[in-house]
Amino acid sequence: MALNENEKINEIDVNELDCRDTLTFWEKFGNIFRSKSIWMLHYCTGCGAMELPPTMTSRFDMERIGMAPMATPRQADVLLITGYLSVKTLRRIIYTYEQMQNPKYVVGFGSCTLNGGVYYDSYAVISRLDYYLPVDLYIAGCMPRPEAVMSGFKKLMDMIKKGEALGWKRYQKYYDWYKKNQVRALGEVYVKDEFHE
Amino acid sequence: MSTFFLAVALLLLAFFWQITLSGIQRKVTARIHRRVGSPWYQNFIDLFKAWSKSSISHGFIYDFGVLMALGGTIATLIFVPAGNLIVFKNLDNFFVIVYLLAIGSLGMAMSAVGSGNPWASIGVMRALTQMLGYELPYIMTVFGIIYANKTASIHAIAEAQQTMGIMGWNMFRMPLGVIVGFISLMGMLGKKPFDTPIAPAEIASGPLVEYGGKHLGMLMLQHEFATFVEVGLFVNLFMGGGTIITFLIKYFVVYMLATMIASVVARFKIDQLVTFYYKVPLALAFIQTAIIIFTGLGVSIWL
Amino acid sequence: MNFMNNIIEDIKSRFNPENTEIVKKNQIAIDFKNEEVHSALAYLKSQGWKQLTILTCVDWIKENKFQLVYILMNWDNSITIQVRTKIDRDNPKFRTVINIYPGAEMYERDVHEFFGVEFEGNPNHEKELFLELWDDLPPMRKDFDPLAYSKKKFDVREYKVDFIPKEGEAE
Repeated sequence: MALNENEKINEIDVNELDCRDTLTFWEKFGNIFRSKSIWMLHYCTGCGAMELPPTMTSRFDMERIGMAPMATPRQADVLLITGYLSVKTLRRIIYTYEQMQNPKYVVGFGSCTLNGGVYYDSYAVISRLDYYLPVDLYIAGCMPRPEAVMSGFKKLMDMIKKGEALGWKRYQKYYDWYKKNQVRALGEVYVKDEFHE
Repeated sequence: MSTFFLAVALLLLAFFWQITLSGIQRKVTARIHRRVGSPWYQNFIDLFKAWSKSSISHGFIYDFGVLMALGGTIATLIFVPAGNLIVFKNLDNFFVIVYLLAIGSLGMAMSAVGSGNPWASIGVMRALTQMLGYELPYIMTVFGIIYANKTASIHAIAEAQQTMGIMGWNMFRMPLGVIVGFISLMGMLGKKPFDTPIAPAEIASGPLVEYGGKHLGMLMLQHEFATFVEVGLFVNLFMGGGTIITFLIKYFVVYMLATMIASVVARFKIDQLVTFYYKVPLALAFIQTAIIIFTGLGVSIWL
Repeated sequence: MNFMNNIIEDIKSRFNPENTEIVKKNQIAIDFKNEEVHSALAYLKSQGWKQLTILTCVDWIKENKFQLVYILMNWDNSITIQVRTKIDRDNPKFRTVINIYPGAEMYERDVHEFFGVEFEGNPNHEKELFLELWDDLPPMRKDFDPLAYSKKKFDVREYKVDFIPKEGEAE
């Protein structure tokens, strides 16, 4: 039974898939360094920004495991999406994600990215991030405490070292599926902003 | 042939020494902030990680500018005498180093503007404005040294200071000059409070805004080499160089002092920065140069 | 309090408001008819209420009315006045106030976006402000169901129940 294009896309459930067989020797070698030095871009939407300063500063000190904040998407490895994600923000997030350099990882932060959280019935907040972007790791909580954040980052480092954090490969391989979801939720991904016309 | 090997040895020394020191600098900053801080080899990991990432190109000028910045800085580095490791015996002239140092900055400016990002243009503009600020007092002080020694050769100036023991250093023979030199050094290194061009919170790290992956790794390396050039110049001019061991010890002290100052102060705005440089260090440099011209080095302040 | 009563008396002598109340210390609410709102706003602006703090809208679905609320602030005596008026909900139309308060342009766009009120005379009132590519009822109306919209538009995570409590355990 031959499927047409749309049905093929609908058949995919990317979260079941595994791209680990596509790793080359150099990527395995590079993963050793990548796991020890993570530069993050924190796109702080909502209340997620509250928990990051304690994590970065002297009490929990993110820098001792090699993490540092970065100012631009081009320099960052990890996109932290903290807090609720409105439809308007998602357009900018997709732009930001596609500007980052491979390999790149996405960390969903808090209940809102996981299942909508307290905004599960809002008309402007998406309920599930991994349909639109390849999320490598979720940190549950509302908001997660800095201890949870640190443990999540350690987990991400182990995943990178073992070569399990391959969201960026999934995004390239199944781009049609992600694009279809984005278009269904957003209408179109193109950002039109009257203040930048 | 021996020149070639000496140059390679100097490059390797600069690479391992300065990147290790950058890691230690992060550790020191963290300790001042009451944090644990990253391990001392963190910067090596960062560098290799940056080289293992993919990167994007914005055109020929963008790529060429990065190579020009790195190459120009390496070329400058070879002329700087590190203790008694002098590659070109008769060429380590101060003017050669100053001219070559501009190539690195110009390459970076060219590349950053070639990326087409407005933040990069603002950052480059700020960087050049800052250069205008610190170059003038620094050059005036160094001209004082050159006038007093009747030579512009760096290692000759360094050796002239070693005749009289520790009191013969230019640091103690021209106390105002060393203040000017140190403030200008902070500006050259781009340490706080003079890190206006690379303000991450305001202009998204300025000239570096579009660089990712391999380009960023190269520019990090360029920055480390430029740091070696600038601090090495300061040590040779004001602290008498010395053998390679003493040179590195003095280097360590100067760099850590700059780091400690940088880790507790905030950032200048660009207009405040230029105003500051044209007020305090320039006035001190004028006074120092006048003292040197009329009474020579080492005024008998210390009697 | 006396001062506030003076203001209310002054308003009553010039217009005929439907209802006046002193909401709390230094805040007055006045209900006008639709026709009188613009002249009242112009008069209050000439009396020192120079700032339009916000224009907002309340949906009274049982009365089938929208209530427009103009909140004005006087920086000299720190008294806030709410100028309120009710308009028809089925065909919500109102004349714009941008000739009196130019800053009202954005507020009117906002109210049009979230409630669907048309402001005649404001050339930009139909431009989208917050919601991009909106394709449904205006979302702040009370007959709009956000949960249904969210389920229609966004994918929901399905949960499997994998914890079955044993005998005697709390569920």
